[in-house]
Amino acid sequence: MIEKNSVGRIAFNIFNYGFMIALSIVCIIPIWHVLMASLSDPRALMNVSGILLKPIGEATLNGYRLVMKNSSIITGYINTIIYVGCAAVLGTLFTTLAGFVLSRKTKLQKAMTILVLFTMMFSGGLIPSFMVNLKLGIVNTRWAIIIPGMINAYYIIIMKSSFEQLPSSYEESAKLDGAGPLTIMVRILMPLVKATVAVVAMFTIVLQWNSWFPASIYLQKRRDLWPLQLFMREILVQNDTAQILSGTDTPNIDLTGNLVKYCVTIVGTLPILCIYPFVQKYFVKGVTLGGVKG
Amino acid sequence: MERIEKKETAVTAPKSNWKWDFRMNWSIYLLFVPILIYLIIFHYLPMFGIVMAFQDFNPVKGFFGSEFVGLKNFIDFFSNPSFLQILRNTLVISLMGIFLGMPASILLALLLNEIYLLKFKKVVQTISYMPYFVSTVVIAGLVIEFVSTNGVITNLLVSIFGIERQNLLTNAGYFWGINFFSDLWQGLGYGSIIYIAAISGVSQEQHEAAAIDGASRLKRVWHVTLPAIRPTIITMLVMRMGMVMTVGFDKILLLYNPSIYETADVVSTHVARMGLNRMQYSYSAAAGLFNSVIGTTLLIASNMLSRKLADTSIY
Repeated sequence: MIEKNSVGRIAFNIFNYGFMIALSIVCIIPIWHVLMASLSDPRALMNVSGILLKPIGEATLNGYRLVMKNSSIITGYINTIIYVGCAAVLGTLFTTLAGFVLSRKTKLQKAMTILVLFTMMFSGGLIPSFMVNLKLGIVNTRWAIIIPGMINAYYIIIMKSSFEQLPSSYEESAKLDGAGPLTIMVRILMPLVKATVAVVAMFTIVLQWNSWFPASIYLQKRRDLWPLQLFMREILVQNDTAQILSGTDTPNIDLTGNLVKYCVTIVGTLPILCIYPFVQKYFVKGVTLGGVKG
Repeated sequence: MERIEKKETAVTAPKSNWKWDFRMNWSIYLLFVPILIYLIIFHYLPMFGIVMAFQDFNPVKGFFGSEFVGLKNFIDFFSNPSFLQILRNTLVISLMGIFLGMPASILLALLLNEIYLLKFKKVVQTISYMPYFVSTVVIAGLVIEFVSTNGVITNLLVSIFGIERQNLLTNAGYFWGINFFSDLWQGLGYGSIIYIAAISGVSQEQHEAAAIDGASRLKRVWHVTLPAIRPTIITMLVMRMGMVMTVGFDKILLLYNPSIYETADVVSTHVARMGLNRMQYSYSAAAGLFNSVIGTTLLIASNMLSRKLADTSIY
């Protein structure tokens, strides 16, 4: 690459690398602050006013002990895992199936695609959807979370594109060998789109792990079915640590409540952040599947 | 032998004959049935529920028993004294995200492209994507704490700009900024991914040709890189225009409170509050329908515009 090493260029480089470092720091700091706070002494925590670079006061795991033993948190975790598991398995299954169906050149292909695409463009709205779910009797049950979350039209389109990009030679030689569409899909095409399926599954998992709103409207009467994020909302946003701390014999409810907030944050975000580095390269691919042309 | 179709058929389609098609593809159509049922129940049926917007809906009487009131609910919504405010908030918040957020991501992608230490670049990218995976609840929690009366951000603003010390989430003037910057923190890195991919696809030959012609690095960015990623930029723009009316809803719901409704209430939060908390179902359905219609119109309009101006479109 032709390059001119002028003063301007060097100055720019210094700025650029500096900017990138600053950006990285800004991205990490809030989480780091929370992590440090979660390990800090509750009393010292009340007086702190800056960003914590290391735990203040005496480092302690007490907050975590409280959180891990707490029944709401455990319930939340179990529920979230159930919802995420269902979405990952059922959702990915149906999405891939739909993508496959839409990629086949049948006479109804265009009609089916429009049917799916239209749901991305227009929706009945929150209240009508709520009413439908109400009439179906799934409000205040797990199904209200599992079923609507299963199929995402956008991912169906991604799977469709993925199938369509496969060279038709695979399909043709299979047809010559007498394979029906189903066989073609399962034994030949599926293994080829494994990467895309993994991406869709991953996005679904993250989306479902972080989801709180559907639960907040459909599970209002069933705390025992709440996902973790909803308990976290109660603690972090509504500032209501009473539920979580009730029944424990902590010496100072206010102080501990504050500490617990930080611990809960880490506990609720850690799984995603841990998986994140490993799947990072996959989702980069996934994002580009949707939009880059040519 | 089947009669040959009179109509022109596409080059790749087989004999386009219904009987033949069903015989060949029945298993595919069968596979589609559960999906069709799902779409009908959870997406198309609610669309029929839109009729609620034209009724004085009563949950007991249901869709068929409730009284028809024509456009009354819409009139109620439009004549709500806060209507213009709500609309303004929706547009401001969304357009800030699009016209400030998108260029920021593009800029980041362009700057990253100028980093030649590959390891460094990879690490920065990985770190910058991370905030996207933090849940909205956690982000709301972080924001609430950092802008509280003694929070980190509040302290910063007091010491640098000398603003009055307060809980920034009780002051309507700060909301747009708070919302935008938390969106930026979360989405800047992730949003740049697609532009990075597009930039890496720009042909080297074009760059070298321009360089030989004496174009500086900056000129090359403007004349080679940007035009090359224009289709990507426009595609993203179209997609985001379609989401103008609905985006950001759940974070706003977590961050807002009655004292800042004047800048924080958007159409979708208004719909949620009126419908679910205050149980004004019909009013809420009408407002929601308004939202959906505007959103769809924007999507179609920007899609048509992009097709005219840039030769690329989604549909």
